[in-house]
Amino acid sequence: MDSNTVNTNVLIIGGGPAGLSAAVHLANLFEEQQIKKRIMLIEKGKAIGSHTLSGAIVVPEVFKLLFKDRDFNEIPFDTKVVKDKIVLLSKKRKIKLPFPIPYMRNKGNYVASLSQLCQYMASVAEEKGVEIYSGFSVNEILYENGRVVGAKTIDTGVDGLGNPMLNFQEGTKILADVVVFAEGVRGTLTQALVRKFRLDENRNNQMFSLGCKELWSVPEGRIKAGKVYHTMGYPLMNEAFGGGFIYGLKNNKLALGLVVGLDYQDPTFDIHHAFQIWKTHPFIKKMIQGGKLLEYGAKTLPEGGYYAIPKLTVDNALIVGDAAGFLAMPALKGIHLAMYSAILAAQTIVEALVKNDFSETTLSAYERAIKNSVIYKEMYPVRNVRQAFADGLIAGGIQFAFQFITGGAGLRGRLYPKSDSETTKKLKNYKRKTFKERFKNQCDFDKEYTFDKATDVYYSGVHHDENQVPHLRVSDVAAFNEINIKEYGAPCQYFCPAEVYEIHTKKDGSQELRIHFENCVHCKTCDIKSVDNRISWHLPNGDNGPDYRYM
Amino acid sequence: MKLTVINLLKQVPLPSEMRMGDDGLMDRTKAKSIINIDCQFALEAGLQIKKQYPDVRLVVCSMGPASFETSLRKALALGYDEAYLLTDNKLRGSDTYATGLALSHLLHYLGFSKESEEKFIVLAGRQSSDGDTAHVPSQVAAHLGVAQATFVEKIQLQDGEYLIAKRIIEGGFQEMKLPLPCVVSITPTGVSLRKPSLYTTIKAKEKKITRLGIADINLGVENIGISGSPTIVVKVVDMLSEHAAVRIMQGADEKEKVKKLLLALSEKNDDNQQKEEKQQEEQKEIPDFPMQDIRDDYRGILTWAEVVNQKISRSSIEILSAARQLQTQLDNETKITTLLIGDKVKHLAEDLIAYGADEVVVVEDNRLQEYQILPFTSAFVQYIQKIRPEIVLFAATTAGRELAPRIAVYTGSGVTADCTDLEIGYYINRKKQIINYPLLHSHRPTYGESKLATILGFKFPQISTARPGTFSIPLHDTSRQGKITTFHPSWKDDDFCVSLLQTFRNESGLQNLFDADVIVSGGRGATVDNLQLIKDLIEVFRQKGVKADWGASRVAVDAGFAPYTRQVGQTGITVRPKCYIAVGISGAIQHIAGLKEAEKIIAIDENPKASIFKYADYGIVGKYQDVLPEFIEQLSQCENIDAILSGC
Repeated sequence: MDSNTVNTNVLIIGGGPAGLSAAVHLANLFEEQQIKKRIMLIEKGKAIGSHTLSGAIVVPEVFKLLFKDRDFNEIPFDTKVVKDKIVLLSKKRKIKLPFPIPYMRNKGNYVASLSQLCQYMASVAEEKGVEIYSGFSVNEILYENGRVVGAKTIDTGVDGLGNPMLNFQEGTKILADVVVFAEGVRGTLTQALVRKFRLDENRNNQMFSLGCKELWSVPEGRIKAGKVYHTMGYPLMNEAFGGGFIYGLKNNKLALGLVVGLDYQDPTFDIHHAFQIWKTHPFIKKMIQGGKLLEYGAKTLPEGGYYAIPKLTVDNALIVGDAAGFLAMPALKGIHLAMYSAILAAQTIVEALVKNDFSETTLSAYERAIKNSVIYKEMYPVRNVRQAFADGLIAGGIQFAFQFITGGAGLRGRLYPKSDSETTKKLKNYKRKTFKERFKNQCDFDKEYTFDKATDVYYSGVHHDENQVPHLRVSDVAAFNEINIKEYGAPCQYFCPAEVYEIHTKKDGSQELRIHFENCVHCKTCDIKSVDNRISWHLPNGDNGPDYRYM
Repeated sequence: MKLTVINLLKQVPLPSEMRMGDDGLMDRTKAKSIINIDCQFALEAGLQIKKQYPDVRLVVCSMGPASFETSLRKALALGYDEAYLLTDNKLRGSDTYATGLALSHLLHYLGFSKESEEKFIVLAGRQSSDGDTAHVPSQVAAHLGVAQATFVEKIQLQDGEYLIAKRIIEGGFQEMKLPLPCVVSITPTGVSLRKPSLYTTIKAKEKKITRLGIADINLGVENIGISGSPTIVVKVVDMLSEHAAVRIMQGADEKEKVKKLLLALSEKNDDNQQKEEKQQEEQKEIPDFPMQDIRDDYRGILTWAEVVNQKISRSSIEILSAARQLQTQLDNETKITTLLIGDKVKHLAEDLIAYGADEVVVVEDNRLQEYQILPFTSAFVQYIQKIRPEIVLFAATTAGRELAPRIAVYTGSGVTADCTDLEIGYYINRKKQIINYPLLHSHRPTYGESKLATILGFKFPQISTARPGTFSIPLHDTSRQGKITTFHPSWKDDDFCVSLLQTFRNESGLQNLFDADVIVSGGRGATVDNLQLIKDLIEVFRQKGVKADWGASRVAVDAGFAPYTRQVGQTGITVRPKCYIAVGISGAIQHIAGLKEAEKIIAIDENPKASIFKYADYGIVGKYQDVLPEFIEQLSQCENIDAILSGC
C-alpha cells in the first residue's frame, strides 16, 4: 500500500456532538454485537472542542441514552437550569413576558459548555476504541466510479499560491466503507456532496442565524448558576429576527450572546456590533459590570427546519447533525437532535457492516428511522416557523400563533424562503434607516464592557498558518468590486464577526477588498450571506481556527 | 548511506503559564506544555536531511518527566523513527552541566560516541524558553568530545561525510564545514515548520517510546540531579510585580518632552533596585557559623577579549568593568587576566590594559583569523589549568555563549548564562553549619524576564557570561600599567577539524529583530513619510553602536510600508528588546502580544487615549513628525547612550 493511504471501516468527518455521538454509539453497538471494525474520526480543530460553540442549553435524555453504561454525574454539564425567563427589552427598560413561548421551556435541561461536553464524549469514544485525530482538515471527497470511497486531508507546507515549499507534506487518503459527514453547519464537503448528488432537490433553501458569544467571569452574586434569560427586542427590534441569551454558569461565569437571522435586508447590519450594543442595555450591563471577558466566539446555526433538510444518504455515505440542518425553532435547540440523528445513523451503519452492503438502499434505512423518531416529532410541527419570521417579527409572530394552533401548517401551508444571500438589499434600495445610521453614536467600544472585533477575536484564541492558500476566496473580483462593494457597500465588512474583511480605499479613491483570513473564527457567515455567493469558505490547514475552551 | 540523526528535544511550559513549585524549582506538572520552539526547528532540520537521504535513521531523545512523552509522540508523528525518554526522579534539579552529561550518557548507551563506526549528527534547539541558557548543546558536544556548531540556521549534508552549517553571528553569519559526528543547535529562523500528516500520526501511535532510567544507562547518581550539578539556584525574586503606570512626559514643546524622556531613561531603574535592596535587608541575619573559603588555590579573574573585525568587541570591554567590580569586592591581590586569541592581535593588548586588565595573555596563530570554538576551547582550558583562576567571565555573545559551556565541561565547572549582575557574596550551608565565602553571585533574568535568579557555583573556576549592554564601558586610562605576555597552547589536529568557509559581517544591517536591543516600530500613524523618520532614528542608534532595528504594526505592513518579516505582533514575530519604541501605533491587543516581553516600552502617539499608553512605561503625546526629529537630534548629541540603555 502506498505510504499515504490509510484504511478504515467507518470514517467520521467532524468531531462535534453529532460526529462524536455517531462514534460513541457505533462503539456501543460494536461492543454489544462483538463487531471488530475500525472507526476513525477526524476533526479540523486543534483539539476536540476547540471549534465547538453553543449557548448552550442541552437536553439530557440523549446523553443518558448514549452513556447508559456510565455514571450520569460524570458527564460535565455545568449546572441544571434553575430559572428560565424571557424578557422583552426596550431601549432602556425590560418587560418580563407574561406568558411562556411554546417550545421554549427549559425545565430539566442543563446549561453547559459544549466544548467541554465534546471533550468528554471524545474521551469515552477513545476508551471504546475509536481512533480520534484532531488537527487535520479533510478537504476532498474521494470517489471511485461515482461512489464515495473516502476522503483526503489537506496538503500542507504550501505557499499562498499552493506551490510546495520545503516543509511540504502531502495529505493522507483515508479509504472507508462508509463516510459519515458530521462537519457541522454549512459543511464544506457536505455542500459538495449535496451538489454532486443533488440532495437538495425539492428542498427549501437552508436559512441561517449567526450567534456571537462571550464568556465572562463576573463578581460573586451577579447571576445564579443555572439561571437562564432569553431576551427579545432591543437592539434588533423589527429589523432582524433574533434575540439574546444570558446563562449563569458555576464559578461565577456567565455565557452571553446574541443570535440574529441572516435573512436581514440591511446591507450595513452588523451582528457583532449589535451584540456589543445589546450589552450596554442596563439589564445586561449590571450583570457583567466589574467582570472580565474570558472568551469570544461566533458560529452560525441552520434554522431552515424540516423542509431544508437534504436527502441524507448516498452510496457509502450519510449526513448527520447540523451539516444536515437538524435544529428545531423557535427553541433554537439542535444539539440533541444532531446527536439523535447520529445515533440513528450509527444503527444503520452497523446493519450495513453486518450485511457488508453500503449501498444507498441499505443506508436509506437511516432516513426512514428519522421519520419515526423524536426528531421528526420535534421538527415537523415547527416546519414553517422560521420562514414566517422572514416577514418581520410581528407578522412572523402572528403566523407562528396560527401555526401553533394548526399543528404547523399555519395559514399559508409550506413556506419557501429566499436564501440568505438573496435577502440583502442594495444600499439605494434600502429605504429604512440603516444599522450604521441608527447606531452611529454607539460606535465607541470602551474595551471594558464592549469590544471592537479585533479585540474580541483575540479572545477566540484564533490562529492560522501564514503560509497556505487563503481559505476565503472571492470568485470574481471585478464583479465583487462593481456589485458587492459599489452597490451594496461591502456588507462583508459588517456581517463578519471577526474583522476578516476590510475595505481599503486606494489613493485614487477606488476601493478594494482585503482579506485577513488569519482572524477567521470559522463561523461561515461569509459563505452564506455574501451577495451572489461571491465569497466562498474553504478548509484551511488543520489545527487552524479558534481555540475555544469553555464555549 | 548509514547515518543517524539524533534530535535532543525539550518540552517546555507555554511561556504564559510558567510557574514555580514551592521548592523554587520549575513545576512542570501544572502548565500546558509544548515542544520548545527552537527544538521544533531542530526537528524540521532533521526531517529535511531525511527528505534528501531517505535512508537516514531519525532518533529523538529527551530527558524529563513522563509527561514529555507527549512531545516525543509528536516528533514521531512528524516522521522520527525512534524515541527515547530518559526519565528518573533522581535527575530532578540537574543544571546544564548535569543535563549535558546525562544526555551524552544516553547517547553512549544508544551506541553513539566519538568512537562508534556509525556516523551521526546530534541536533538540538538553540536554547529553551524556560531555561534560556543555550548551554546544553555545547556541553553534550564537549562530553562526547566532538565538533559543534551552535546558533545554526541551515544545515546541508555533503557527501555523507561533512555537514555544512550556516551559523548566525552578530550582524552576519559564518559558514562552516564540520566532520561527522557533530552536534548542531538550530535557531528558529530556518526552514518553516511542517505539520504532521495524518498518515505519520497514525503510524506514530503504533511506535514505542523507550523509557530509560539512570541505572539503565550506567549513570551514577552522584553525577546528576542536585548533587551532580556544579551550580545551584539560591534565590529567585520577581523583577516586576505589577506594571507601573505609564509616565507621560510633560513639556511646553517636543524638545522639552524628549529631553525629559532621555533624562527619565538614564535614571536607574528604581523599581528593581528597591526590590533587591529589600531582599538583601531581609537576609541580613547571618547565623553565627564559621567562615570557610573553599577556593583552594584558585585565585584571580580571567576574561576573554573577543576580536571582531580586528577590533576588541564592545561587550568584551564591558566585562572588564564587571571584573573590576568583583576585584574590589574580593581583595587587592586579585588579578584580572585577559586572554586575547587570534591572528596578529597583539597590538590590541594595550587597550585592554587601559580598560582594566592587569595582564593580557596573547595567543597568536595564523589559523585563527576568526573565532573557532575548538581551538579557542583548547587554549582556554590549558590556560585555566595553568593559572587556576577563581572566576572566568565571557560576554554573552553568540561566541561566548557556546565557548563558556564547552570550556566548563573540561574544567568541571558550572556556568551561569547571560547575567545582568555579578557580585561577591557568601553561601550559608545550614546543613554543615558553615558559611562559604567568597563566592560569585551571578544574577540573571529568567522565566521570560519576569524573575531574577541568583546562581552560585561551587566548582572552580566559577564561570559566567554577561549580557552585552548591561555593564558600562570602563574608563580608558592609558596610564594604567599591566603586563603583556604570550602563551603557546599545544594544539591537536582535532582542534582544527572544522573549517571555516566564509564569514560575512555587515556593520549595521542583517541584525534581525530577534537580537536587537532597541526596536522602533511604526504603525498607521507613522506612515506619512514612509517610516523614514523611524529609519533615521534607527540609524542614530546604530551609529552609537547599539543593536537597533525597525519593525512595524500589521496595519503598516498591510499597507505596504514594511515587509511581513518586520511585523511585530501575534501574527508576526514576538520580540524582546531592551527598549521598544512604538510610534503611531494604537496598541491593538494583537500587537501588544508581540512586544510585551520588551523590558521598556516607549509610546509616541498623537492620541492620548490610544491603548498603547496602557502598556507603555514612558509616553510622549504628540505628532511623531514633531517628536522624532527632536528625538533624533538629542540622541545624536547624547554622549552617554549606555546610561540611557541601562535605564531600559
